[in-house]
Amino acid sequence: MSNAYIDQFPAEAKVIRAAFYSSFFALALGGVFGIIQTLHRTGYYRFIDSADYYTVLTAHGVFLVISFTIFFLVGIFTWAITTSLDRGVEDLRFTWGWYGLMAVGITLTGVAILAGFTDATDISASVLFTFYAPLQAHPLFYLGLVLFVVGTWFAGVDWFRSWWAWKAENPDERIPLPAFMVLTTMLMWYIATLGVAAAILLFLLPWSLGLIESVNPLLTRTLFWFFGHPVVYFWLMPAYMMWYVLLPKISGGKLFSDPLARVVFVLFLILSVPTGIHHQYLDPGIAEGFKFIAMTNTMFLLLPSLLTAFTVVASMEHGARQRGGEGYLGWLKALPWRDPVFAGMALAGLMFAAAGFSGMINAGMNINYLVHNTFWVVGHFHLTVGTAVALTFMAVTYWFLPQVTGKQLWSRSVALGQVVLWFVGMTFMSNAMHRGGLLGIPRRTAEPQYDGFEFEAAVGSVAELDAQIALGGVLLTLSLVLFFANVVGTALNGRSDDLPDNSYAGTLSGPEDAPQILDNLKLWTAIAVVLVIFAYTFPLLSIIDRGGLFGPELVELPLSTLDLESISALALAVEQSTIATLETTADTATAVIAGVIP
Amino acid sequence: MRISKGGLLVVLALLAPLLVELRTVLAWVNVELSVLESAAIGLILVVAIFVWAFWPDNGNDGPTSDSSPR
Repeated sequence: MSNAYIDQFPAEAKVIRAAFYSSFFALALGGVFGIIQTLHRTGYYRFIDSADYYTVLTAHGVFLVISFTIFFLVGIFTWAITTSLDRGVEDLRFTWGWYGLMAVGITLTGVAILAGFTDATDISASVLFTFYAPLQAHPLFYLGLVLFVVGTWFAGVDWFRSWWAWKAENPDERIPLPAFMVLTTMLMWYIATLGVAAAILLFLLPWSLGLIESVNPLLTRTLFWFFGHPVVYFWLMPAYMMWYVLLPKISGGKLFSDPLARVVFVLFLILSVPTGIHHQYLDPGIAEGFKFIAMTNTMFLLLPSLLTAFTVVASMEHGARQRGGEGYLGWLKALPWRDPVFAGMALAGLMFAAAGFSGMINAGMNINYLVHNTFWVVGHFHLTVGTAVALTFMAVTYWFLPQVTGKQLWSRSVALGQVVLWFVGMTFMSNAMHRGGLLGIPRRTAEPQYDGFEFEAAVGSVAELDAQIALGGVLLTLSLVLFFANVVGTALNGRSDDLPDNSYAGTLSGPEDAPQILDNLKLWTAIAVVLVIFAYTFPLLSIIDRGGLFGPELVELPLSTLDLESISALALAVEQSTIATLETTADTATAVIAGVIP
Repeated sequence: MRISKGGLLVVLALLAPLLVELRTVLAWVNVELSVLESAAIGLILVVAIFVWAFWPDNGNDGPTSDSSPR
């Protein structure tokens, strides 16, 4: 009999398993759509209609950054709460309830997106992950997202109930670090999702149902980014949690500083939300001053990331020295590079450093103009969510899967090859995306090849960049195949009694060194709310004042055939009118010249 | 062997971003490499790393353990 998680919490292990498998299903779908769009965009293999590219892009985005990431993180958050508080959930039916709500929600959203591939129904939702108005999706899309987000809210309630119950029994204890990380992340998530809830429930869903005639696109965009930037931290904070509580243990040592880890999560709670406007630097309806405030807040967010880099590397060095590593850099050789859990997380962290630098470019108001809406941004988030988060999640899967299934990992060698292949593939792909963005190549475009115009590369050629992207995409797809082979192989294995214990890293400097005030969640939440009020009240009032709560009258997109015919007729009329005007002007000019010149 | 097999794999992987950026860096000093030339340099570096990794270390293998405390 082992002391794995499934032996300690068999009922909770089932829920986590269900969340993981849901996450992996979404990863598989998202990966398929990823390679389709990579080959289409680069022109190597186009078997879909370019109009369907946007349906593919929506599916790729939503399945990966909503379903894959969030299903996975609710799994590890449940593990973190139950393990660190050493108690099962308060009510298992409630736990299955929020999982079910999330599953139903994402199914509705997924059906709405995938229905866009067929003309058999009038359901479609090719609105991309950002679902900006005036792009309009079928109500199912919005309804599904609402149910999914409400499911995550209930998940948070579940974890808070566990903490309250634990606190009643342990009134003088500090909150265990993993639980602290879950609770601060969820508080940030509750604040952040108010924006998207308002955008959907007050505007987009009633609009798609025909209850209101129009919306104010700038208002719904701003409410989206109220949620859209902090959602990045909702993906990232679980990855950080893994770097803090699992990576030091796998390295063979302890976490360098529990207090620093708490400071980092408090800073994320405070600073994640009042930054969203930095995605709207080129939106003309928002005053520059508000954008400057968002930029300042964003730059402060570098602090917790730099603190994390220091703490995590220090913890790894401690582990390496425990394993006999010596010298200024010689200790690096003593790290367990053969272990896919370690190698995957370390490579993900390395990629995240590069992502931090490209993120600073995005966040700077002036230099952002150079890369805004270009392929650079796509390269950036394939390093953040596509590698720092996704690669960390895949790497820790190799630790979690045996814990929640009770079965040995199918192949550690394949797992190591998988994480290394992901790193190499993403290097090729994201590097070319960044470089393409610097040339001005746009994002969200099915065919960025234009007649009579060529982007000029400073080094090499655009064709080489395309080849690099396609190569990267193929390597990433191969990496996914290896990942799923391992997941399926593990699931088919028999039950093992020889599994590692369920535990997380100890600390060199523990919670007793952290000021008590760090655990005052009410205080940090209040400060977070005040900062959000400062950052958003005036921009939102200004947007409503200028464009109205429900905006001016809008033409819905996508346009119907009738609308397209009207536009064609209008364009023809304008063209004829322009030609007539030019001819008249030319005649007049000729007459004038003839009169002036003898 | 001077480095563990896992370590060697990761070192080879880290070569990818270095090679990809090498062309850009060299272009600053007016040295323009073609894809083929970059690949050739990559191959040479891979061979050099293999030679270094497998070259006997005077009997002092150092910490090359692959075992992790799991």
